[in-house]
Amino acid sequence: MSSLLITNARIIDPVSGTDAVGDVAIADGLIAAVAPRRGSNAAGLSRSGAERVIDAEGLILTPGLIDPHVHLREPGGEDAETIATGTAAAVSGGFTSVCCMPNTNPPLDDDSMIEFVYRQAERTAHCRVFPVGAVSIGRKGEELAELMLMAAAGAVGFSDDGDCVASAGLMAKALTYIRPTGLALMQHCQEPSLTRGASMHAGSVATRLGLTGWPRVAEEVIIERDVRLNRAIGCRYHVQHLSSGGSVEIVRRARREGQPVSAEASPHHLLLTHDEVENNGGYWTAAKMNPPLRERADIDAILEGVADGTITVLATDHAPHTPERKAMDFDSAPFGIIGLETALALYIEALVAPGVIDWPRLVAMMTIEPARLCRLDRLDSAGGTVPSAALGLGQLHVGGAGDVTLIDPAMEWTVTPDTLAGRSRNTPFLGRRVRGRAVATIVGGEVRMDRLAERSLPVRAAPAPRPAASV
Amino acid sequence: MTTMSVAPPVSPPTATELPWTHRCLLGLQGLSCEEIRTLLHTAASFAEVSGRSVKKVPALRGKVVANLFFEDSTRTRLSFTLAAQRLSADVIDLSAAGSSVSKGESTADTARNVEAMGVDALVVRHRSSGAAGLVGAAVRCAVVNAGDGRHEHPTQGLLDIYTLAEAHGRLDRFDLSGLRVAIVGDIVSSRVARSNIAGLTKLGAQVVCVGPATLVPPSLRTLGCAVADDLDAVLGEVDAVNMLRIQFERHEGSGAQGARPAPGGGDAPRGSPAFPSIREYARGYALTAERARRLKPGAIVMHPGPMNRGIEIADEVADGPRSVILRQVRNGLAVRMAALFLCVSASESRA
Repeated sequence: MSSLLITNARIIDPVSGTDAVGDVAIADGLIAAVAPRRGSNAAGLSRSGAERVIDAEGLILTPGLIDPHVHLREPGGEDAETIATGTAAAVSGGFTSVCCMPNTNPPLDDDSMIEFVYRQAERTAHCRVFPVGAVSIGRKGEELAELMLMAAAGAVGFSDDGDCVASAGLMAKALTYIRPTGLALMQHCQEPSLTRGASMHAGSVATRLGLTGWPRVAEEVIIERDVRLNRAIGCRYHVQHLSSGGSVEIVRRARREGQPVSAEASPHHLLLTHDEVENNGGYWTAAKMNPPLRERADIDAILEGVADGTITVLATDHAPHTPERKAMDFDSAPFGIIGLETALALYIEALVAPGVIDWPRLVAMMTIEPARLCRLDRLDSAGGTVPSAALGLGQLHVGGAGDVTLIDPAMEWTVTPDTLAGRSRNTPFLGRRVRGRAVATIVGGEVRMDRLAERSLPVRAAPAPRPAASV
Repeated sequence: MTTMSVAPPVSPPTATELPWTHRCLLGLQGLSCEEIRTLLHTAASFAEVSGRSVKKVPALRGKVVANLFFEDSTRTRLSFTLAAQRLSADVIDLSAAGSSVSKGESTADTARNVEAMGVDALVVRHRSSGAAGLVGAAVRCAVVNAGDGRHEHPTQGLLDIYTLAEAHGRLDRFDLSGLRVAIVGDIVSSRVARSNIAGLTKLGAQVVCVGPATLVPPSLRTLGCAVADDLDAVLGEVDAVNMLRIQFERHEGSGAQGARPAPGGGDAPRGSPAFPSIREYARGYALTAERARRLKPGAIVMHPGPMNRGIEIADEVADGPRSVILRQVRNGLAVRMAALFLCVSASESRA
């Protein structure tokens, strides 16, 4: 019987409303006890009984972080990332579960592909992997994919991410068809006729550089349309990687009306603007992102949306690309920024440090909220396909999965290529000094990432100096 | 190369005397007005060479200039070739068709390979904005942008400015204060327009871009120019009109009558073109003989070529007394000589 006891941690579990110092015990891969009072080991798992005891003095203990939006590139893009390397990046960043998007090659558009991801994850993954199925066959936006079969195979949501479900007719069908599954349709909001040839935000920088601009309205018209379509249908509808301030307002209004609409933010859209494209000599492809980095006013609106609960989910849109492809000219280079290893620190910088939200809310937005989005929070397996060992994610539920993340909120570090565990390095945050880092990632009771020796407390020594950024 | 020049070489100011330190000429947006004037004054000193019976100076003797054209061009390449030859440089040509480019080699690799053969300057044209800068960062030799996507075409901008200054007697100081220039047509797709706007405004001219809002969006004002949609209202107020070609090949879709199909073709969905028909465009924005008559005395007509006669410009105007179109072509040689000379000099003083 394997067992692990974590003592003296600041336990933050938004579901139970816990924010107190105490102990957590994990046995046989499941949460055995949560005792949010120092020294009161209510579960009866004594120190001597546990195989490993971690003194988490000065650390924050949260339910394992969940990223509902990553690209693992397998199958078809293994030169940029695989399920193995992407989940190595995930556990390095503190994530115990990731939901991978279906824009692989071939795409995840039938049940055999969903099963492939689960099988491959079982063989190679460092954390839990949950596939999101495509809405349409081949992600072409023309005909519905086999949504029911994919749901039965364990798809945790549907999206044509990378492309928008642009046809209103197909969208109405998809929402209607998906609704009974209880899963969410996650929309990549981009009206293609407004973004043809576009490579960055439609603003002064694009005008100066002679790049085709990507207007905010390309995102907003799709959300507006989908919300209206869905009003009579009532499917769960999720806005992926929202980038425009106007989008926040549309989502806010829909939620106020009681519609089952949610939205996610990504770190780069909270911290960077289109000005980044002019950095590093100009036409900097590390800042080429879909949807594009926009302006300060958009950042402010998204922050407001996070603060008032319009935006409930924090994702990364981890999108690895090889250096060869990112070295192409700006128009030809692919869109995307990796994010799994930097997300936690960047969210702390963007949201917690300036007081937009507090720690418990940050933890909720990175655990239970994405778990609810993808129905990973369920406590019983009735009618579902989720194995019982993966029940109750996003919370510290006794008897639920023993997924826990330990965070050192004071650890300062610099994002450098050698701090990244995934296969790709395409991030505009290289060289950035950040604060806060996961120091242990525990998946099903197993410590899959251990950086405890580097923590800033209680050793009270500065973290080991890292080499200067070599971008 | 023969170097039998018997005429005394013109003596352009040496690189060290000039405010010019750039190994690459990528655009006019990033240059100071002093740097732009240095280019123009240098061009003026080279302009005289064209009038000689032996059209050659030894400024770049023993140097090699490579034309690296990833996008088709006849006129610009010819102009750069002649400019390099007049500086006594050897010239080699590489065009995208039939080269390693079509075998999948990256732009940067192609440039590095050409440089490794002992080239002193690369003249780069590419369909993507920023590609000339990409090449500039990949190599150590001089790089002159001969047009990158919709970004810049600095030597075209310089020769337009030179021609304007020549026509209005401003060759002495290249101070364009008080001059108003209308750039008409497909501004949004135009690298020529971006270079013109940047250069003209830095030298003191006022620029108004004219065309239908789909080709001349209000966002262009961030470049420091005015925007108008009524050509007739602007005509009487300007000292020059620069008529740009409709760049059908850069427009999404191709529905306009007579338009060429969109590049890339394939199964990419086509969007709508930026204007309904050439007939309608010409009605509003073609420089007809009747419109040309309403220009101020002394106002000139420019066109960067190639012209779509009968679309944006009428025969009588293109060949008429106000037209400086062939002077533009001639001045292009001097401007390109200046660009090559200054950039190669700067790359050597840096090495």
